[in-house]
Amino acid sequence: MSIVKAASTRVPSSRSHRRKADPVKIASFTALLVTTFLMLLPLFFMVSTSLKSKREMLKFPPTFLPESWAWSNYTEIFDKLQFGTLYKNSLIIGVLTVIGTLLSSALVAYGFARYRGRGNQLWFILLLSTMMLPYPAIMIPQFVLFSKMQWIDTFLPLVVPAFFGSAYNIFLLRQFFSTLPEELFDAGRIDGCGELRMWRTIALPLSAPALATVAIFAFIYSWNDLLTPVLYLSSSDKFTLPVGMASLTSSRFRIPPWHLLMVASVLAMVPIVTLFAIAQKQFVEGIVLTGIK
Amino acid sequence: MNKNTLRKRSALLLAALLTTTAALSGCGGGKSAGNVATGSGNTGNSGGSDEQVTITHYTIDSEDRTFIEKLIPDFEKEHPNIKVKVEKAPYEQFDSKLQTLIAGGKSPDVTSHYGYGGFAEYYNKDMLLDLTDLITEDGFKAEDYHIPDNLMKIYTVNNHTYGIPVNMYVTLMLYNKDMFDAAKLSYPPSDYEDKSWTFEKMVEEAKKMTVVSDDIAKTQYGVDFTWAERDMRPLYFGAEPYSEDTWTNGGVPSETYFDSPEVISAYQKLFDLVFKDKVSPTSEWSKSVAGQNGDPFVAGKIGMSIGGSWNLAGANDFPFKIGVAAVPWGGNDKVRSTLYVDPLLILKGSKHPKEAFEWIKFLMTTEVQEKSIELSGGNPPVNTEAAEAYYKHFDGIDPADVKKVYEGAVKYGYESYNHLITNYSQINDMFINELQPVETGHKTLEEVMPVIQNKVTEIIKR
Repeated sequence: MSIVKAASTRVPSSRSHRRKADPVKIASFTALLVTTFLMLLPLFFMVSTSLKSKREMLKFPPTFLPESWAWSNYTEIFDKLQFGTLYKNSLIIGVLTVIGTLLSSALVAYGFARYRGRGNQLWFILLLSTMMLPYPAIMIPQFVLFSKMQWIDTFLPLVVPAFFGSAYNIFLLRQFFSTLPEELFDAGRIDGCGELRMWRTIALPLSAPALATVAIFAFIYSWNDLLTPVLYLSSSDKFTLPVGMASLTSSRFRIPPWHLLMVASVLAMVPIVTLFAIAQKQFVEGIVLTGIK
Repeated sequence: MNKNTLRKRSALLLAALLTTTAALSGCGGGKSAGNVATGSGNTGNSGGSDEQVTITHYTIDSEDRTFIEKLIPDFEKEHPNIKVKVEKAPYEQFDSKLQTLIAGGKSPDVTSHYGYGGFAEYYNKDMLLDLTDLITEDGFKAEDYHIPDNLMKIYTVNNHTYGIPVNMYVTLMLYNKDMFDAAKLSYPPSDYEDKSWTFEKMVEEAKKMTVVSDDIAKTQYGVDFTWAERDMRPLYFGAEPYSEDTWTNGGVPSETYFDSPEVISAYQKLFDLVFKDKVSPTSEWSKSVAGQNGDPFVAGKIGMSIGGSWNLAGANDFPFKIGVAAVPWGGNDKVRSTLYVDPLLILKGSKHPKEAFEWIKFLMTTEVQEKSIELSGGNPPVNTEAAEAYYKHFDGIDPADVKKVYEGAVKYGYESYNHLITNYSQINDMFINELQPVETGHKTLEEVMPVIQNKVTEIIKR
């Protein structure tokens, strides 16, 4: 507190820019610190609950740290949920979805950004209007379609649609591709590049930040998706992580094992955090890109 | 721009619009789940043939429901021509997956109303197969499976049977023995015929256990009266909110009386527990204490809890000693308990109803019902012979008490509205929303009940 006080008393005497900013800086820093703490609190309770025994989890007032550390929760989840299988399935679907989304959305977005064809705008609006359709509206017709194709109880309905692009990601990438200077592509053309090669060797490498964003979005969406796997998968050994976790709280008649659910949540966070850590490097590198001319 | 390109452009626009409408009409095309199910029904298959068939049992993906997977090997040994597959979904997605499966022509054979929708909803959507012929042909008799007659009647509409009861939950009182001991009170009776056990007596005892303190950790309440779904609660005090013809009319009441003085005063008595006598917690307090479990009794903060008998299933994990007691008498000579009887149903889309019925009969046998109690972790059977094993299932609770409470509950029990009234999930959601301001003390019943009355009328007409 003394720092704040000292800083604030100094302000009126000084006109310099730096000094004037000091109390504001300190206040905003404090605010940030408090917000960070508040944001981390649920995360802390998640980890803490994941290490409590079933009895302790029911206790009120809740204990801040576990009284006895129930590390066995972390092995119990593997017996209870076939956690390994669920994790593997979710990862396979997630990775394939990311690959599919990146390939298709980037290609379509490139087309929209670099070609000025007839009806260009119309098709783009049509594409964006698909974003207005809520999933439940297409749920049944899509199910009938995939069911006729004998795709029920396979990963195909969860993965294949990603290879056909998604409006939001195409929009995002198109906006990014549009900012790339035309000169680069002219240079490419002079060197005898075809369009596909320019897409691959010029547009894509320069768009790492946008691609990283799309990859994260696609992965998180697939990783968290519950309804689609519930609809299309029927064998337990094909279930994904959210399906397994939802089943823990599914009983209307039992107290949900929150401690185990928290274990699952902690472990489910790992790929997202890892992906974000990797992609963040791309975000930073992407800033260099603006210096082209 | 020349005329040609303009024409081309508008043709393109038209084509695009047509494609979109065609795509959209796929879902708006008005084929309700029920219609599709009727169309794809093929009931002509004979059960006696040696042809290999597979039937699907659709259930909730939770341990107390998927235990049936463990019973399949025994069944398949007895019926070499029938294979059973279990299809499952989490509770929240149960209804949407079922609707999608039926609409997609992949209807399961056997299921129950395990989601938000009740029996009446399935019945009114024409999703259910009439089992009457199957029952006659097979010579199925409820008494062979020790199913009480009154339970068979629940899922019989106009002498047509649509479901075979399999599990029966009742409303009972659980009490925290530790809290009774601390307050030097004697335990409440488990005998429904004990006439001294009244609502008023319960309030008296609750007062002696209630401690309201600034320290939230020390606060505790005497009673939590969460008897049945919200629309059903007036019945406990003898006020009927739905007209008599509801039960003969396929779950569609011609009149409702939610704004009548009797119904309002019944609700008032329950809210008095919270706001006047202050022996029950407010809903906010319950939420803050119990978190997502939603039940402060489990946290050891409530002396007596009136609720579904499923609360018993977790009893062995509670950090205190518990007992079971009769629901006190509240002014209605007939109704003191809600029965939640879950049936097994065959869907109209089933291609092998006979084989499905074989599977249902297997699940009803005393031996399998007894086994199911253990495997499910305490599901109460309707089979009265298997029920004896259920009464003994709970550590530290006298089986005689459980038996008395169950038998009294059946005698004074009333089948839960949620299975029997049409569009029930919407009615229930509406009740939860509309009563919220009363539960938090921001509105009075006189303000809210006429609104509820109007909304119920609207929902029923849908």
